[in-house]
Amino acid sequence: MTDIAAVRPATSTVQQWWVLTVRVIKPTLRNGEFGTQVAAPIMFTVNFYLPLKQFMGAFTQGTSSYAQYLMPLIALVAISFAAISAALRSATDSVQGIDRRFKASPIAPLTPLAARMSASMYRCCIALVVSLACGYVIGFRFYGHVAHTVGFLLLVLLIGAVLALLGDLIGAANKNPEATTPLLLPPIFVLGLLSAGLEPVERFPSWIRGFVRNQPVSQYVYALRALAGDSTPAAGAVSWSVISPPLIWLTAGAVIVLPLHVLVSTRRR
Amino acid sequence: MSVASEDKTTVARGAFGDVRRAASGDATESSARRLVPHTSILTARLLRRWGRDPATVLESLAMPVALLVTVNIVLGNGISQLTGHSALYGSVPLIAMVGAMSGSMVGGIGLMRERTDGLLSRLWVLPVHRASGLLSRLAADAVRIVGTTAVIMCAGLVLGFRFRQGILASVAWLFVPIAFGVAFTMAVVTLALYTANTIVVEASEIVWGVLMFFCTGFVPTHEYPRWLQPIVQHQPISYVVEAMRGLSLGGPVLAPVVAMLLWSAGIAAACAIPMAIGYRKASMRG
Repeated sequence: MTDIAAVRPATSTVQQWWVLTVRVIKPTLRNGEFGTQVAAPIMFTVNFYLPLKQFMGAFTQGTSSYAQYLMPLIALVAISFAAISAALRSATDSVQGIDRRFKASPIAPLTPLAARMSASMYRCCIALVVSLACGYVIGFRFYGHVAHTVGFLLLVLLIGAVLALLGDLIGAANKNPEATTPLLLPPIFVLGLLSAGLEPVERFPSWIRGFVRNQPVSQYVYALRALAGDSTPAAGAVSWSVISPPLIWLTAGAVIVLPLHVLVSTRRR
Repeated sequence: MSVASEDKTTVARGAFGDVRRAASGDATESSARRLVPHTSILTARLLRRWGRDPATVLESLAMPVALLVTVNIVLGNGISQLTGHSALYGSVPLIAMVGAMSGSMVGGIGLMRERTDGLLSRLWVLPVHRASGLLSRLAADAVRIVGTTAVIMCAGLVLGFRFRQGILASVAWLFVPIAFGVAFTMAVVTLALYTANTIVVEASEIVWGVLMFFCTGFVPTHEYPRWLQPIVQHQPISYVVEAMRGLSLGGPVLAPVVAMLLWSAGIAAACAIPMAIGYRKASMRG
């Protein structure tokens, strides 16, 4: 008799990754996730731009239009919703026992995570495209160098990747798909509104300005605004002092979340 | 008639005859006398269930309070400078309605889950008043809305919201959100009964999102583009906000209350019959 290990089939990690990625992406067209991805940036743009255009427009420090001012936050909100979907997916997978099944199968330990992350990047791309379309409709334009425009797109996707990783961790740790959205929406709302994305820091009450200026969303907004450029010099120049804080936040986020994710996903039940 | 023979009829009735009569004495389960206790039991069941579900508590209490504090920090100063009054007189009622409407969605999804789990069909074959299933949902929602409003009111009081129109108006203020809140719940429940996919019910978030941001409680009417102003002024949440503003800060009360009641009655009238039919269908399938 041959050893039982000998009949174990040859597996290809790339093929497994692809199959698992398609597994996550395919249902999004039917279960409404794609609709959420498209609707969220549109709703955010309509709900904030129309009421606040006149109200905030007067205080936006010489930016050519409120659309130019609001665009970074539109993109960030869009990718936050992609991260919520990632958390929902990861929570559903852990609660239904799919993760456990994967652990018992001849799959490399990181392949399911890699597949979920690929699906997250697909969501982020949709979010980015839809939010840019929304921005263009209300009057946003790229004024900067091509390299800066590419930098804008890459930075949004990079933020999306780290947020998705965080969402995946929260979903896997929480194991409650129904509580995911109510759990994640308030922090997104609070951090998004209490940032320099909606109005300048100077317009906030003085006691909270320090938080508003230094919290990651504001730092992302500053960098994205500079990368997008403007017809007036108000957007700020692209420099290391603008670009490095977001990168430091993102690196720190990844460095903290990755080991936690390994810890949560290798935990035995 | 001897005691023994009466005993025998009861036994016979209990074993083969009309079981429902024996269980509930004189009143059958479809009598009006049974409706109140049945509804209150089912209402208590729903409220207890929501209280134990972290998603519902977060969605209907923590999120609105966080939203109120944030909106007040972001827009409060600007609006106060613009209107001369604290922005809280508009934002506290606005956020109370947001809490009411987002809670309706959680209730709608709960109803869909109970349909899938077979609880609705189970209740349908038990001697329970037919109307109590739906009425209890609306009653539980009314209680939830008052509770949410009270919590948001407390958060508002901490931030600087004050009642200026006396005790009667203040008590009335607390109950204003019920009318439109329950009407909105009826719409969500109707939607939930006719769809299989929870995403459709979750899409009702878009409805309350739009109602929230295009409302006189968010920023003053004249800040909106001119073509939007009539819509903003006459949508139901603006009427609720204006009525509650009148009851706390001062101003017209009667006109917005009448308009709000008309909106609520309109939605309730449009939903009542489809909702009843949908509930019957949902209870009888499977």
